[in-house]
Amino acid sequence: MPLVGLRQRIASVRETRFATVAFVAVLAAISAACSGAAAGHPGYEPGYGPGGPGPGFFPLQPVSQGGTLVSNFYPFIFWIAVAVFVLVEGLLIWIVLRYRRRPTDTELPKQTHGNGVLEVIWTLIPAIIVTAMFVFTVDTLGKVETAQDPADNPQMTVDVTGFQWQWTFEYKDKGISLTGTGRDGPTMALPINEKIRIRLHATDVIHSFYVPQFLYKKDAIPGRTNEFDVIVQQVGTYAGQCAEFCGIGHADMHFTVQAMTPADFDAWVAQQQAPPPSASALPSNAPLVSVTSVGVVQGFTPKELSVAADTPWSVSLTNSDAAVPHNFSIHSANADGSDWNAPINADAGGSVTYQPPALATGEYTFFCSLHPNMTGTLHVGQ
Amino acid sequence: MATTTVTHPGTIAYQGRRSWIYEWLTTTDHKKIGKMYIFTSFLFFIAGGIMALLIRTELAFPGVQFVDAETYNQLFTIHGTTMIFLFVMPMFVGLANFIVPLQIGAADMAFPRINALSFWMIPLGGLLLYSGYAVGGAANAGWTGYAPLSAQGGAGLDLWLMALVLLGMSSVLGAINFMTTIFKMRAPGMTLLRMPLFVWNTLVTSVLLLFAVPVLTAGLMMLFIDRNYGGGFFDPALGGNPVLWQHVFWFFGHPEVYILILPAFGIVTEILPVFSRKPLFGYKAFVFATSAIGALGFSVWAHHMFTTGAVYLPFFSFFTFLISVPTGIKFFNWLATMWGGQLRFSTPLLYALGFIALFLIGGLDGAFLAVVPFDFHVQDTYWVVSHLHYVLVAGAVFGIFAGLFYWFPKMTGRMLNERLGKWQFVLLFVGTNLTFFPQHLLGLDGMIRRIVDYAPNPGWPELNLLSSIGAFVIALSILPFIWNVFITLRGPRNAPDDPWEANTLEWATTSPPPSYNFDSLPPIRSERPLFDLRHGLTPHAAAALPAGPTETHDETRADAPEGSK
Repeated sequence: MPLVGLRQRIASVRETRFATVAFVAVLAAISAACSGAAAGHPGYEPGYGPGGPGPGFFPLQPVSQGGTLVSNFYPFIFWIAVAVFVLVEGLLIWIVLRYRRRPTDTELPKQTHGNGVLEVIWTLIPAIIVTAMFVFTVDTLGKVETAQDPADNPQMTVDVTGFQWQWTFEYKDKGISLTGTGRDGPTMALPINEKIRIRLHATDVIHSFYVPQFLYKKDAIPGRTNEFDVIVQQVGTYAGQCAEFCGIGHADMHFTVQAMTPADFDAWVAQQQAPPPSASALPSNAPLVSVTSVGVVQGFTPKELSVAADTPWSVSLTNSDAAVPHNFSIHSANADGSDWNAPINADAGGSVTYQPPALATGEYTFFCSLHPNMTGTLHVGQ
Repeated sequence: MATTTVTHPGTIAYQGRRSWIYEWLTTTDHKKIGKMYIFTSFLFFIAGGIMALLIRTELAFPGVQFVDAETYNQLFTIHGTTMIFLFVMPMFVGLANFIVPLQIGAADMAFPRINALSFWMIPLGGLLLYSGYAVGGAANAGWTGYAPLSAQGGAGLDLWLMALVLLGMSSVLGAINFMTTIFKMRAPGMTLLRMPLFVWNTLVTSVLLLFAVPVLTAGLMMLFIDRNYGGGFFDPALGGNPVLWQHVFWFFGHPEVYILILPAFGIVTEILPVFSRKPLFGYKAFVFATSAIGALGFSVWAHHMFTTGAVYLPFFSFFTFLISVPTGIKFFNWLATMWGGQLRFSTPLLYALGFIALFLIGGLDGAFLAVVPFDFHVQDTYWVVSHLHYVLVAGAVFGIFAGLFYWFPKMTGRMLNERLGKWQFVLLFVGTNLTFFPQHLLGLDGMIRRIVDYAPNPGWPELNLLSSIGAFVIALSILPFIWNVFITLRGPRNAPDDPWEANTLEWATTSPPPSYNFDSLPPIRSERPLFDLRHGLTPHAAAALPAGPTETHDETRADAPEGSK
C-alpha cells in the first residue's frame, strides 16, 4: 500500500513538473532573447537600420521630439502589462501546483458557481485601468500631434512622393528634387531643432514613410495628401524604409534622413542648387548602345546588349512609359563587385545617356533599380 | 443515414450496397461532415505550415538566399489566406458541426444538405486559391489584399477573389445553419442559459459571420469589378478611394479575429470545469463576456488603419481598450474555475492551460496597439506579426488541439495516446514562444513585416534565426500528432462513452455516437446534465427548476441575451 501511494505521488509530481517545465521554457526563451539583444553587433551597416544598441524590451532610441514623447510614455504601458502578466501567470502557476488532483481526492471539491462581488471587482478594476490607459494615450497623442497643428506654421516643407519602388523628396521653395536610385534610395537632409512638415503623396499604390528612430510612420496614399510635422533633435544619419507592403520591390524601398545643424543644412542646400558637374568627357569614338524603349509592361527593348570589353562606353535609355521613371543599372559592375546604380532616372517619356564603368569580359545583368524585376543581359566581349 | 428525427436503429432499412466512398461523398450526417471539415482543414494546415517554413527559412539569415521576392510575396499571401480561411475557420466549423448538435441534444443540424454544401465549398475554394500557381503565379498582395496594389497582379489575384467569395458563402450558409440549429433544435429543458459555453461561442461566432462576411464579399466584388471591368471603387483617378477598401476589409477583418478565437474560448471553457471537477465559475459572466466581445468587435475595425491619417483616432482607441475588459473577465473566471479544484493534467487540460498562459501575451501586446502614438511606431512591423500569431497560434491552434484531444474519443471511439500528446504539447509550447516572442523585440526595433530581406542591424540576424528555429520546432511538434492519430485509428476502440467525467450531453451517448445521436436523453436541469446524473441534483440545479412540471424550448423567452447584439 505505501508503495502504491509513493508511485502515485511520483506520478503526480511528474505531471506537475510537466506543466511547469513549459513555463520555465518560455522564461528561458525570453532571457535568451534579452541576452541576444544586449550583445551588440560589430557588423552594423550605418546605411541601413536604426542603429543603437539593438533590440530589447523598449523601443529604440528616439531622435525626434514626438518620438521622445512616445518613448517616455511607453514604460507606463509596459509596466502595467508586466504587472498583469506576472499576476495572471503567477496565479496560473500557483493553481497548477496547488490544486492538482491528489490520490486522496475522492470527494468532489467545493462546487462554486460564481461570486458576484469578486466578478464585479475583476470587471471594474480592469475597466479603470484601461480607462486610465486611454486617457493618458489621448494626452500623449495630443502632444505628438500638436506639432501638426496646421495653424502653427512649419519652418520648412518637404514633399515626399512614394512610387513603385522609390522615393522622391522635393524641397519646392528651394528648387531641389531628389529621386533615389538603387537600394539605398534618396537622402533627406533636415536641419535639427526646426519644425519640418512632411507632406506625403503616392502615385501608384499605398506606401508608408517610416523612420524607426522618429517612432513614427504615416501612409502615403494615392489620391490623398497626408502630412505630419517632425522636429529632429539630434544630428545623425537615420535609416528609413517603406512600411506598407507595395509589391516586389517593397523590401528595397529604403531612404536615409540626414539631420544636420542649420549651418550645415544651408551648405547642403547650396551644394544641391549648384549646377551638376559636367560629365567627364568620353572619347568621341566611345561606343554608344541604345535601349530604344523601356516600360513596366514590356521591360527593356532590346533585352540583350553587347559592348566591347575594357572600353569606355555609354548607353542611352528612352523611357516609353507615360508616368513611371526608369533607369539603367548593372549588377556586379563596380570594381568591388557591387551593383553599379544609375546616378539619375529617365523621367517618363524622357531620355538619358549613362556612362557605366568599363567592364571586363563576361556576361552581366542590367536592370532598372526602381523595378528590380525588369532585367536584360549585357554581353561584354571582343 | 442521418435523419432529423430520432429513429430506432431497427427501422433503418437502407444499409448495404453503398461503397464507403459514395457514403462519404453524399453524406448529410453532421458528424461525418464535421470529420471531413476537420480532415480537410488539417491538410490545409500542413500546406500553410510548409509555406511558413519556407518563409522562415528565407528569413533565417539576412539577404535573399532561398526564394526570390515574388515567390516570397506569394508565400506569405497564400500562407495567411490558407491559415485563416482554409484552416482555422473550417477546423472550428468542423468541431462545431460534430459537437454542437450533440451538446444541445439534437439529431442533426437544421439543414443537413446545406451543411454538406457548406463543406464541399471549402475544398473547391482551396482549389481555386491554389490554382493561381498554375496560371502564372498565385495572389501576391498579402492576405489583406490592399487596393490599389491588389488591382495590379495577374490571374492569381482574380482566383484569390473568387476563392474568398466562395469560402465566404460557405461561412454564411454555415452560420445560418448553426443559428437555426441552436435556436430551434435544442432538446427539452436545454434553455439558452443551460447551453454549454462552446455552443454559446458558436452562436456568437455565427452572428459575427452573418454580419461581417457579406461586407467582405461586397468588397471583393468591388475589387473584382475594378480589376476586370474598369470600375473605379478604389482608384483615385476614377474618383474612387483606396482607404475605402481598408474600411470594408477591416469591418470584416476585425470581427474575423473573434470568429477565429471565440470557438477556442468556448473549447477552453468546456475543458477547464471538467478537468477541475468544478462547475464553471460565473456561467452568466461568460455568456455576457462572449456577447460583449462579439458586439465590441464591430466597433474597432479602424485600429488597423491608425497610420492612414484618415480615421478618428480616439474613438477606435477607446473601443480597442474596452474590448480587453470582457476578455479580462474570461481570464479571471477561468482561473477561478480552477481555483480550489482537483486538476487532472491530461492533454486537453495542458492545451487549455497553454492557451491561457500564451493567449494572455497576445492580449497584452494587443492592448499596446490601442496606444495610438505607440501604434504609429509598430504598425506594419514584426510587433504586429508577433501579436497576431500569439492570437492565432497560441490562441486558435492551442484551442484546436485542446478540442481535438478532448473530443477525439467521442468522434472515433478511441483515446489518443497521452504520452505522445504531452510531448507534442511541450514542443508546440516551446516552439511557439521561440518563434514569436523575439518578433516583439524586432518590431520595437523597427523591423517591418512583409519583406524578403532585412538589414543586418545589431541583433536582428540572431533574433530572426531564433524565430526560424522556433518555426521548425513547431513543425516538429505536429509529427507526434500525426503519428498519434495514425496509431490510434489502427488500434482498438478503447474509449468509454464518457472518458473524462464530463458534464455535457455529447458524453451521454456512445463513442462514437450512432447516426441518430441519442437513444435517450438525460433530464436537463442545469448546464451540467451529466454531472447531475452522476451526483444527483445539486441545490444549484434544483434551484434552476422551473415552477411548471416540464420545460419546453420556447423561443419567445425574454431572457435571451443575444438580443444585446
